[in-house]
Amino acid sequence: MKRLLNILTLSIILALLVACTPTPKDVLMRDMLPPIYPDYCDVTIPVNIAPLNFLLRADCEAIEVKAGDVILHANGNEAVFDIDDWKDLTTQASGKSIKVTVTALIDGQWTQYMPFFWQVVTDKVDPYLTYRLIEPDYEIWNHVQIQQRCIENFETNAIGHYEQLENRCMNCHTYANQDPQLSMMYVRGPRGGAILNQNGQLSKLDIPGSVYFGFSPSGRYITYSTQKIIPAFHSLASKRLEVYDSESNVFVADMEQHRIIVSPLLSDSLKFETFPTFSPDGKYIYYCVADSVSLPKDIRQLQYSLVRIPFNEQTGTIGSQVDTIFNQRSVCHPRISPDGRFILYTVADYGTFPIWHPEADLQMMNLQTGRIDTLSIVNSQKSDTYHSWSSNSRWFVFASKRDDGLYGKPYFCYVDQNGKAHKPFCLPQEHPTFYDYNLKSFNAPELGKGKVPFDVDDVARAMQQEAKKFK
Amino acid sequence: MKLKARHIIPTTAIALWAIACFVFFQYFYPYHFFYKEQNQLFLMSADWLQTYFDGAGWLARIAGDFLTQFYYYLYAGATILTLTLTLLCVTLWWTLKRWGLNTWGALVIALIVTTMEAVFHLSYDFPLSGTLSLLGWAVLTLTITLTKTKRKVTLALLAVSSLVLGAWLFGTPKIGKIGMPNWYLERQLSADCEYYFGNWDKVQQIVEQDKERTPEMLFFYYLVQAQRGLLPEKLLLFDRPELGTFYSIGPQTPILTIRNMNELYWALGDMTFTERAAMMTNVFSHNNRNVRMIRRLAECNYVSGDSLAAEKYLRILDKTFAYHQWADNLRTHGKDIYRTKIEMVNQRDTITISDNAHFLMMQLLDTNPKNTVALDYILCSTLLLKDIQGFKRDYDRYCMEHATPRLKTLYQEALCIWLAGTNASQEEWKKYIQRPDVLQKFQQYNEKRGSAAFKGTYWYYFDKIKAPKV
Repeated sequence: MKRLLNILTLSIILALLVACTPTPKDVLMRDMLPPIYPDYCDVTIPVNIAPLNFLLRADCEAIEVKAGDVILHANGNEAVFDIDDWKDLTTQASGKSIKVTVTALIDGQWTQYMPFFWQVVTDKVDPYLTYRLIEPDYEIWNHVQIQQRCIENFETNAIGHYEQLENRCMNCHTYANQDPQLSMMYVRGPRGGAILNQNGQLSKLDIPGSVYFGFSPSGRYITYSTQKIIPAFHSLASKRLEVYDSESNVFVADMEQHRIIVSPLLSDSLKFETFPTFSPDGKYIYYCVADSVSLPKDIRQLQYSLVRIPFNEQTGTIGSQVDTIFNQRSVCHPRISPDGRFILYTVADYGTFPIWHPEADLQMMNLQTGRIDTLSIVNSQKSDTYHSWSSNSRWFVFASKRDDGLYGKPYFCYVDQNGKAHKPFCLPQEHPTFYDYNLKSFNAPELGKGKVPFDVDDVARAMQQEAKKFK
Repeated sequence: MKLKARHIIPTTAIALWAIACFVFFQYFYPYHFFYKEQNQLFLMSADWLQTYFDGAGWLARIAGDFLTQFYYYLYAGATILTLTLTLLCVTLWWTLKRWGLNTWGALVIALIVTTMEAVFHLSYDFPLSGTLSLLGWAVLTLTITLTKTKRKVTLALLAVSSLVLGAWLFGTPKIGKIGMPNWYLERQLSADCEYYFGNWDKVQQIVEQDKERTPEMLFFYYLVQAQRGLLPEKLLLFDRPELGTFYSIGPQTPILTIRNMNELYWALGDMTFTERAAMMTNVFSHNNRNVRMIRRLAECNYVSGDSLAAEKYLRILDKTFAYHQWADNLRTHGKDIYRTKIEMVNQRDTITISDNAHFLMMQLLDTNPKNTVALDYILCSTLLLKDIQGFKRDYDRYCMEHATPRLKTLYQEALCIWLAGTNASQEEWKKYIQRPDVLQKFQQYNEKRGSAAFKGTYWYYFDKIKAPKV
């Protein structure tokens, strides 16, 4: 009886709440798209994405959102979908588009904006995203975390946390072939090292000076760069920080025999070599190289080209011929799609740290035809960089500062079977105001096919191990 | 009569304790409250509040941060702390009495514990949530003691569930440091906070009247004088001038020094370094959040023309109790408020790996020689180092070459030293020294070189005072 009474009371409260939410009448039509944040107007989304919750940047008293068959009424300016309704909506609309109409009560007047569409594609994006949360200054850190987020819902967990790791700095977590069973991350500081995850077994490696790295397809090798990183400051406030290398070289580490493979072509003292990555067939190492210049004086002359050098996974040997792939402006972060069709990279006016370069944009080259797509639908007026592919080569994620120029956020972009890129969308959050109040950058986002089989405590335990030395 | 005494005396004792507590914190130790308020950020937003649920003791932390935001207002800090501590004292007293202690024993223990909590608050980093956590536990314990049931099973269940509930809501009460008041820091914060609130006359008054003034207090004193165009006049007023221009900041620098440098860069007009120091202060603040620096980040991005970045911080401030009107005002009247700063913004792009203030000031002056704050700081800094050559170089570059000689007594005195030291021609003397009174006094000084009668002149400083080590 008491339980029944409780249910009845709750139902009355809910009914009252719903009754208190006004519904549109005498609607004024406006010939503009709704000013929603994040900008989810006319974006292409995977069927497995979490609800695209958003807010209307207007001082509105109530909002009505019609998305397909789902109708949402709410007081205030936030549209937050029920996750089950959302899943039904995207599943039913798979391969089709959803029409979204936003109507808002502003100054006592209901206003309906032009509808927009969500194109739902059947190609799924890898369900897990890892990233580092750090203040955008990068020069200093305090309370750094590496998190893993399931992008099919809002579940988040830390895989590297300052509390368990003595408030150390941590760097990118990178998968081998987007496989959660093989991945690596760095924990810096005294007795720090690379933490290698092999099927959940963590080991600590002492790979001298390693910064940027990528796995070979078999997972036996990693190619990595070492650099002496120098932070510098622009006097023009809008340009902020510049980071450059006073030295940088590329190496290969054999993870089985714990040896370093060196080539004079990859460690030329007159050149800066960086951002190495294996091709998906393991036959090449793609990387960026620049002629050394006097720094920081001639920073604007520091131009990196995209090049490649052969590699033999069977023998573990580096080739002797370097081919230039692209040498306009300064190229950073080359990443090849797992199917080997495209290479995605960042171009900036100069230098090797595109995060603070507003002009830094992504470009995509078709490796079969050499055709370059400048990705105008993807790029923004602010920095767009640090990208990673989904295992099916249909999606990539990248960090963009398009909203405020300061804080990087993960954006997902669909590349259809014809190689055409679609308008990207921002990682959805449970609360649409999340990004407004968040004071950390989402740094180095990486997509993975599943949840990594370790947690923060495993990493803390691995840190107690003696690091395996490389010869 | 006895019954009356058992009620009146403890109540009076607690009331007297509360008055003493309020008087001490309000009239002798008020500036710590402002620091605590500035060193956090509390937003009235559902997703922001959700971040508190990550760990145990969420209620104590939310309540603590919520109340701490009101420390911004005069009298609020001492009032909130006194009320919290008094409530704690009363709750402890009642609880101990319910446990069977006699009135006086309970009172003494309650007063001792509460006084210890008050002592913890002498430390600038002890949060209000620490005391609220203890208060929460005390209230919970009192509630249990008020239960009338005698059944052991019920009591055991109640105790266990209260423990779980208490851990969830209040966490573990924080133990602070037992120590004496940090008067050095309080004095430092007095100048800092009055400067922040724009009470520049009060900064001047506090520093001039304090016989044990700290270098940090002098830093704010000179910051005020520089912005009033009086730095050269006041530079040698004290024995060890502190300009802040010889510091370099990094991860190991104390947070207050980083924050002071933020104020210096802002006054000079260097928005790159203002933003950097604000970010650094934020990063090293409680939970990486510092409302004073959020405000500064909004300001400096507004001044440098980065409206998107400014709006990011203004949206945050919109959700605060104390600063939302400030944010509105910046949006509406920002152009008028910051007109001079906007005009002084560096328009040329150069790149440097150092935060050497001399270099930064040169860049600012190269863009805008009318930046008198930067001009006085650069000239006064070289003079403090007794670098007469450097002073003359900067004076020529930013004053003489622009035909805007800055005829301050200090500079005229320093120029006399350079002219005398280089056996300058009469023409050069005429060119630089346009104040006959200075020339006359220089002749007098040379007759009594090093005489204490000339204390306060640059010649005396040059001959008798040790230059700061850089």
